[in-house]
Amino acid sequence: MDFVLNGKATRFDGDGDTPLLWVIRDDAGLTGTKYGCGIGACGACTVHVDGNAQRSCVTPVSSVAGRKVTTIEGLSPDRSSKVQQAWIAKDVPQCGYCQSGMVMAVTALLKQNPHPTDKEIDASVSNLCRCATYHRIREAVHAAAK
Amino acid sequence: MLPQSNPIASPARRGFLKGGMALAGALCIPLPALASRTVDSGPHGTHEITDWIWIEPNGKITLGLSQCECGQGVYTGMPQVLADELDADWQQVAVTFVTGRDAYRTGAAYEEPQQFVGASMSATLFYQRLRVAGAQAREVLVMTAAKRLQVRPGQCYTEKGRVYHGATGRSFSYGELAEEAAKLPLNPTPRLKNEAAHQLIGKDLQRLDTPAKVDGSAEFGIDVKVPGMLYGALKFAPTVTGKVTGLRNAEAVKAMPGVQAVVQAPDAAIVVATSYWLAKKGADALELEVDPGPSRSLDSDQILAARQAALGAPEAVVATQLGDPDAVLAAGGKLVEADYHTPYIVHATMESVNATVHVREDAIEVWGPIQGQDFVRNALGKLYQRKPETIIVHTTFLGGSFGRKFLPDFVVHAARASAAVGKPVKVIRSREDDIRHGFYRPGVSGRFRAVLDDKGLPRAMHARLTGQSLYGVIKAERMAKNGGWDETMLEAIYDCVYRVPNLKVDMIDVKQPIPVSFMRSVGSTSSIFMLESFVNEMADAAGMDPYRYRRALLAHNPLALRVLDAAAKAANWDRKPAPGVSRGFTFNLYTGRGEAFQTYVAMALELERSGKAFRVRRVVCAVECGRAINPNLIRANIEGGIGFALTNTLKSEITFKAGVVQQSNFHDYPLLQLAEMPKIDVVIVPSDRPPQGCGEVSLGPVAPAVAHALYLATKARRRSMPMKLEA
Repeated sequence: MDFVLNGKATRFDGDGDTPLLWVIRDDAGLTGTKYGCGIGACGACTVHVDGNAQRSCVTPVSSVAGRKVTTIEGLSPDRSSKVQQAWIAKDVPQCGYCQSGMVMAVTALLKQNPHPTDKEIDASVSNLCRCATYHRIREAVHAAAK
Repeated sequence: MLPQSNPIASPARRGFLKGGMALAGALCIPLPALASRTVDSGPHGTHEITDWIWIEPNGKITLGLSQCECGQGVYTGMPQVLADELDADWQQVAVTFVTGRDAYRTGAAYEEPQQFVGASMSATLFYQRLRVAGAQAREVLVMTAAKRLQVRPGQCYTEKGRVYHGATGRSFSYGELAEEAAKLPLNPTPRLKNEAAHQLIGKDLQRLDTPAKVDGSAEFGIDVKVPGMLYGALKFAPTVTGKVTGLRNAEAVKAMPGVQAVVQAPDAAIVVATSYWLAKKGADALELEVDPGPSRSLDSDQILAARQAALGAPEAVVATQLGDPDAVLAAGGKLVEADYHTPYIVHATMESVNATVHVREDAIEVWGPIQGQDFVRNALGKLYQRKPETIIVHTTFLGGSFGRKFLPDFVVHAARASAAVGKPVKVIRSREDDIRHGFYRPGVSGRFRAVLDDKGLPRAMHARLTGQSLYGVIKAERMAKNGGWDETMLEAIYDCVYRVPNLKVDMIDVKQPIPVSFMRSVGSTSSIFMLESFVNEMADAAGMDPYRYRRALLAHNPLALRVLDAAAKAANWDRKPAPGVSRGFTFNLYTGRGEAFQTYVAMALELERSGKAFRVRRVVCAVECGRAINPNLIRANIEGGIGFALTNTLKSEITFKAGVVQQSNFHDYPLLQLAEMPKIDVVIVPSDRPPQGCGEVSLGPVAPAVAHALYLATKARRRSMPMKLEA
């Protein structure tokens, strides 16, 4: 089973039912993508598949055969993406565990909707943050959209 | 060599610290200068100046961090204090987690000092200790420079990592001085800077850990990789007191792809495999023989019924008695009465508990999201008959803790797996097991009765709280010595700051076989909901505004008045709210464990009607937490605390049926979502007091503020959590 991970051709020989999350973390060794719930409810595992946000814990690796997967490590080489820069400027993270997924979800959102309103942000960002950094996330989304 | 350090991805070199420290109260271990050190040139020529400070010849400074970073900001705030007294260049510092020395241990006077994080105490306990360490290091660097320049130390000054001779401007970098300075004895009482001279303390510095947390490079426990490592997944006995008595199909599971071993532990079996997913598949297929234990008949309805029965019991353990409350209440008058209830809830950290352990003959090595390094050492030392110093703990970032990772249970699982297979094993608890096999904040019931005087203020009040006592489980001996009542259950009530001339506070420990522990704000997420709700009910009975009612009850406490007024002013309290908006006003005097600190909080909350439902649209929170080491971090703690408390208020409830937790993941144990997060304005009230805690103080006042705003909008009281934002 072949796919492209952060621009690199990648092969996985295990069971096709294996969630993409664990292939990324344990086989490819990219640990920025997090396990939070395993049922697609929290978004900590959000990656991009062909540019669209997807929850990798409920994505069988077989479903990304031949496709392009981008993780937080592949978003920018130097945390220079506008979303990462906005996250730094607003000092968003507390524990930080959910933030890879947040950054990936918001990056995909801004691609589709470069200037979302508060209501659109509410409707689009369903990732969970137990530290409740939402207040700063909202500010950072607006800052990144400028 | 750094003491068992675990260097992390290099963070951006910016940052600020967080607020105040209370000099440790009488119950805390005094803060000696702790001049002990080992002079050690590490492999890279790093020179140890103190237990906290290492300097390389190129001027790079590494600052030790003893307190785990679980989101609260110590990764920035504590180095900020060290760097300030040291006069380090903030752009040149790196931070590393350290462990294993007395300098990193703290504790209440009745306990052995331990390295751990808890009770919002880091700023309070370490402010002075870190200032002293920074000043000691600065002194030996100045002495070294003065000797080289053949001048007196008093003729030199320091700035951004250099020592200058004032008259000539000649200077040395700290890097050039470190090797020699590391050999000088430390002064136990170095001269500290005048607080007005602080360059970093008090500044709104950004967090040092932010960059690594937005590019995926920050290492959490779950991310640890050790050569030769295997992965473990768990299969628990279903009930909260369940024991594994046998494995039905261990051989079949061992034959599954990647599975290396099946290890039986008392409460769970651990399937060890070459990847986590294969281990998880094995654990899912494993069938256990179990003994459900004493929780086999545990049921939430019965738990609540037992608590309610205890509310009316004739006898209870009295914690506080002022005046003659029984007589005044019996005499009658304008009576206010209410019962309140809260459920069991669980931490649900985004990073479920996990650890990587390698049990070897010479040592046990642990990597993980550890909140109590010495608790881990003690637990493994006892289990394997090892000396604590042979147990090496590497602390990673914690993906949330809120008290959960204070306990060593999840490390013990990984140790058992490693001991069985002779290799390092990372055991990850699934979300389902993290919720079903946690350590819960107990549910509590409360009955409040008061008689009001002519002005509507309480002449007498009786508060009775009933429920499973946390200290009755984990500190039974101390609780018995203390009169048999649990300060965590009665937080802010037993030492009620409001003026009530006749007061009785009592409690009944309704024992249950449920594992319980500390969870952010501990008992106060129940007790302050009840106390503040009742104050609002008394204010309503008196026909008074909740802010002014509190002013009347706190007239004796100028600091409390200042904080109440700050919140009211920032919220424009005296202006009528917009149509469709109702408001709640609450207060919290948060007392740290052992009365080590006191932080004052006042909160004004706005609830907006939208159709048949409501949303919390804005929260103003005024906080006086002593000197603000780093306002940015204080604001983050207050903001996050309010969001965390909204989850408690609106959503969280753990229920039990036949000893089994009925919730299992975020679909049935939901968290607050971004769309539900209010706008938050934090007002930090200036203070000359030393730094006080701020990580837990903003939680308690949220639920009673929501409840009262809902009451004003709907005329129906909300006396139980969680509550729905509906008419």
